[in-house]
Amino acid sequence: MIITKKRDFQELMKNIENYNRFFLLGCSECAALCSTGGEKELDEMKVALEAEGKEVTGTFVAKTGCQVLGTKVELKPFKDALTETDCILVLSCGAGTQTAVELFEDKPVYPTNDTLFLGNMTRLQMFDERCSLCGKCILDKTGGICPITACPKGLLNGPCGGCKDGYCEVSPDIKCAWVRIYERMKRLDKLQEFCETIIEAKDWAAHARPMNLNVRKKEEVKK
Amino acid sequence: MSFRDILDSGKFVVTAEIGPPKGTNIKEMLHHAEMLKGKIDAVNVTDNQSAVMRICSLAVCKLMLEMGHEPILQMTCRDRNRIGLQSDLLGASVLGIKNVLCMTGDHPNAGDHKQAKAVYDVESVQLLGIVNSLNIGRDMSGNELKGSTDFFQGAVVTPEANPLEPQLMKFEKKVRAGARFFQTQAIYDIEKFKDFMKYARKFPVKILAGIVLLKSAGMANYMNNFVPGIRVPQVLIDELKSAGKEKALDAGINIAAKHIRQLREEKICDGVHIMAIGAEAMVPEIMKRAGLL
Ligand code: SF4
Ligand code: SF4
Repeated sequence: MIITKKRDFQELMKNIENYNRFFLLGCSECAALCSTGGEKELDEMKVALEAEGKEVTGTFVAKTGCQVLGTKVELKPFKDALTETDCILVLSCGAGTQTAVELFEDKPVYPTNDTLFLGNMTRLQMFDERCSLCGKCILDKTGGICPITACPKGLLNGPCGGCKDGYCEVSPDIKCAWVRIYERMKRLDKLQEFCETIIEAKDWAAHARPMNLNVRKKEEVKK
Repeated sequence: MSFRDILDSGKFVVTAEIGPPKGTNIKEMLHHAEMLKGKIDAVNVTDNQSAVMRICSLAVCKLMLEMGHEPILQMTCRDRNRIGLQSDLLGASVLGIKNVLCMTGDHPNAGDHKQAKAVYDVESVQLLGIVNSLNIGRDMSGNELKGSTDFFQGAVVTPEANPLEPQLMKFEKKVRAGARFFQTQAIYDIEKFKDFMKYARKFPVKILAGIVLLKSAGMANYMNNFVPGIRVPQVLIDELKSAGKEKALDAGINIAAKHIRQLREEKICDGVHIMAIGAEAMVPEIMKRAGLL
């Protein structure tokens, strides 16, 4: 899931100081789980805006805010509220915000959240970054632990000299990713081959931005 | 004789470190380099050591060359991507620099530009592979070069790291990737270092033991607490303490000299790499007391 964090409210107020009527758009997926864009947060935002003398013309929590067409269909009943609004505030991730930008060409759209990373929810409201979407997964070579993400230097062939008592040079709160990988390989009895293999430098071309993927087209081509 | 020939000859090799200053005033650095002239076999020039921005290693290596030193270019993967690294290596080669020490490099968060974007496009093992490739006339992408390099490439190892096994795995990968010599993190426990050497001798590489000059008991304690892979035994700390404030540096010089003497006389390793960290002027004295001058 995509991890988001609320932006500072005063910063948001500065962004929108010239607008008076708002439509609030949330998302029931990641943003709801992060407590940044579910029903509750939309209500809170409405109250906060009204306390600042602003008006809210409507609110809606999209099923999947990053799904452009689905969101467009879902928003149909809100036509009036959307026409009346000066500005759309999106309480989801950056992708959800840009769904609104695509759907409302003539309206200003602002994010209320900062979008942080792709994360695993380890416990309620606790999130860990484990994958940085590098475009060419190497988990098959590293025992299923991602050093590109878990090692601040993204090293591919073992720990740096800064590893101290199994913890990372960069922060004593992080276990060294390479010590974790080494221990896991040992436990799986896969050490020898693992130690003898030099992982080549990463192919960052697989991560060239902006990326897009069209699965359907491929299938159609096959037909 | 070049650094590589001296190492091959079996002579006990001595290298020392020069840290480029932050700023364009290089008087003091040149003075230290002058003091070392004719006394050491090669001089390492650090590359933005501890992620603190300074004069680039390449420029200072060239200055060392002009002075008659044999420089070892330290090169970290922190600040350049693979294009920058290869380009700098080709530049070093045409300037006459023959030795390169491949390192990952401390993370920017340790240094004085914490907001910097760290690069780490490749890492030390892969950089060794790159140097190998340039030596045979190809870049990393396999393109043929107009003229190859002739580098003697080295790397670093931390024999007292905890945990040690993953570091040894990396050491072996570095050997496989083409490292010809290693300079170690500071060594203070010679008996323990002997165990590492017993292991390292299985590989066709030369090992220079890192000698970091202890300047006070406080410094020793600090290193034990904060610098990974360094363990100063209590007896040495006591020795520094009992020497008193005034004589602590002198005691530190004695410790370094004693260790170098033992490493050489017992033929434990192939040489030493002296890091005086701010007390570069003391290096000749260390060597004198070690019986090297
Ligand atoms: S290797 Fe790449 S795709 Fe695989 S987990 Fe790591 S960042 Fe994600
Ligand atoms: S200590 Fe481990 S996790 Fe931290 S930067 Fe070094 S190798 Fe990566």
